[in-house]
Amino acid sequence: MSTPTTPHPFTHRRDGPGRVVLKNGQAITAAPPGVPQSPLEASSRRSRWGVRVVLLVALAWTLVPLLWMLLSSFKNRKDVTAATPQVLFPPTGQNYRNLFTGSNNLTPYIWHSVLAAGISASLAVCLGALAGYGLARTPMRGKRHLAFWIISTRMAPIAAVVVPLFLIFRGLGLIDSIPGLVLAYLTFNLPFAIWLMSAFFADVPPSLEESALVAGCTRWQAFRTVILPLTKSGLVTTFVLCLVFAWNDYAFAVVFSGPNSQTLPIAASQLVTQTGIDWGQLTAIGTIVVLPMMLAGLAVRRWLVTGLTLGAVTGE
Amino acid sequence: MAQVMYEEATRVYPGSERPAVDTLDLDIPDGEFLVLVGPSGCGKSTSLRMLAGLERVDHGRISIGQRDVTHLAPRDRDIAMVFQNYALYPHMSVADNMGFALRVMKVSKDERERRVREAARLLDLEEFLDRKPKALSGGQRQRVAMGRAIVREPQVYLLDEPLSNLDAKLRVQTRAQIAALQRRLGVTTVYVTHDQVEAMTMGDRVAVLKDGLLQQVATPLQLYQHPANVFVAGFIGSPSMNLAEYRVEGEDAVLAGVRIRLAHETLKALNDEGSDRVIVGFRPEAVAMVGEGDAGSMTFPVTVTVVEELGSDAFLYGQYADTTDPALRENTVIARVDPNAPPAKGDRVRLRITPGKERVFSTATGERLPA
Repeated sequence: MSTPTTPHPFTHRRDGPGRVVLKNGQAITAAPPGVPQSPLEASSRRSRWGVRVVLLVALAWTLVPLLWMLLSSFKNRKDVTAATPQVLFPPTGQNYRNLFTGSNNLTPYIWHSVLAAGISASLAVCLGALAGYGLARTPMRGKRHLAFWIISTRMAPIAAVVVPLFLIFRGLGLIDSIPGLVLAYLTFNLPFAIWLMSAFFADVPPSLEESALVAGCTRWQAFRTVILPLTKSGLVTTFVLCLVFAWNDYAFAVVFSGPNSQTLPIAASQLVTQTGIDWGQLTAIGTIVVLPMMLAGLAVRRWLVTGLTLGAVTGE
Repeated sequence: MAQVMYEEATRVYPGSERPAVDTLDLDIPDGEFLVLVGPSGCGKSTSLRMLAGLERVDHGRISIGQRDVTHLAPRDRDIAMVFQNYALYPHMSVADNMGFALRVMKVSKDERERRVREAARLLDLEEFLDRKPKALSGGQRQRVAMGRAIVREPQVYLLDEPLSNLDAKLRVQTRAQIAALQRRLGVTTVYVTHDQVEAMTMGDRVAVLKDGLLQQVATPLQLYQHPANVFVAGFIGSPSMNLAEYRVEGEDAVLAGVRIRLAHETLKALNDEGSDRVIVGFRPEAVAMVGEGDAGSMTFPVTVTVVEELGSDAFLYGQYADTTDPALRENTVIARVDPNAPPAKGDRVRLRITPGKERVFSTATGERLPA
């Protein structure tokens, strides 16, 4: 961008409450210091503190269990089960080492999780974008009902669809296979992806693609060169949400997967045995499950936030 | 460059009985600046979108330069369109926005850059070429939208209310610039607006639409002086024409002491129609203030309710005085008066319709009667 670099006399910076300093050094003060605050200002200050307290509680509620999990994963067997919770302890990497050595090597589980979640989320975004675009743009009768029917398939509890899906998958030979898991996750993620993407497309003014059509684009070119780049945040949001659902899934995986396709949550559950729970290894797996999703969330945070709010104000 | 023809072009929206555009016949010669004007919902934008290929043509045909484009995709019509909201691509720079169509058409990079720079110079946009649309003012965005169309060098320009998002002052400036630009480029242009002042000041010819039907297409002056019907008479001109229903007595149209001699042709048409009433209209400047003593047949007294002083002009708004007819009391008369000696609010003045300036319309059809 070629913004002018010459200093303008009226570009200013804030210099403490109620005081603005212009570039030429001249200061403007809203009210002389010592003047009592208006009641309105005082009440807005109080409500700001209220918001901070609520945020602090919410933050602790979310972070303390995660931190405790992280700490526990570095404790030895004695510290992790100590009657008085230990915050300071000699850290050990034994739990993580145990996960990747011996009979229960975690590597295939990680690989299965990455494949099943990654492929299903990618497919959900691709198909969801195409179907969502059609839903947002095609004028047709009963569109609202169609849209509701699509999202309603997501409302069924997983438990209700697991048994029929199991029978279908057994007939198709999809039990204990990555494609089977991908398909299962897709049945749940696709309606959500269609719904979300259609809200993002509806936010793009139709004149943008009309302009592209007049400029010489085919429908597909207009979609690819104008509409898709504008809904990047929607694509990212949809991908991450679908990825998280598939990555965290236990219900489908426990029914459909076998030795060739078991995912990380299944591995974690296998540490809960009749003879006891290995808390050290369990928290280590938990950390391995949570960490990539948190990193993914952080990496795309910028798009995720605008994305979620953009979807929220569709009616604007 | 090309001639544009609508032949009985009709568009009916699904689920609607009445056509949005009803058997439109319009012949726009090569190089003409034609303005489509009318109140909202009159079908002017639909007509334009039919020409662009963004709206289906349910019946009839449309051609550009002798080529039937009725069922062609927008991309195959060789047109450029400026949208009301400009429809700039927010993720592209000004240069990319302007060169977009050329890139799609696979024009070489050198040629593309040359044409973008040329259009940017024409529109005073050179220093903004690297900016994104959101870093531009409303007027600059509007110019980018124009530039995007110019770069195409198309057969026809389509402009859909391109000035409606500008403030009043910039709108008047840009109005003149667009008209001048079109004359210079000499490309056939179809321009949609709801603003009759825009229509009158920009168009070589103006097509007035109402309820999907073409009312009249003529030069601005013809529209103003010889409106084809009551709707055009009332829609074109600001302030609008004075219209009232008169009774026909013998050879005269009569209303509250005003007697207007009707032409033979008019009387004959009225006789054929079997009607004893007519609508008479006269423009605010076709009335003059006369002395109270002047009691000619085309004079009538008015009580002044509002005086608008614009400096170069002054308009009086008044009510017929000395009448008990309630319908007439509500009929406001507008007259242009001497801006140096305007009457005051509450004054009683006598007005005289300039003979020959009155326009007579049928009460049954609204069409102008022959004179």
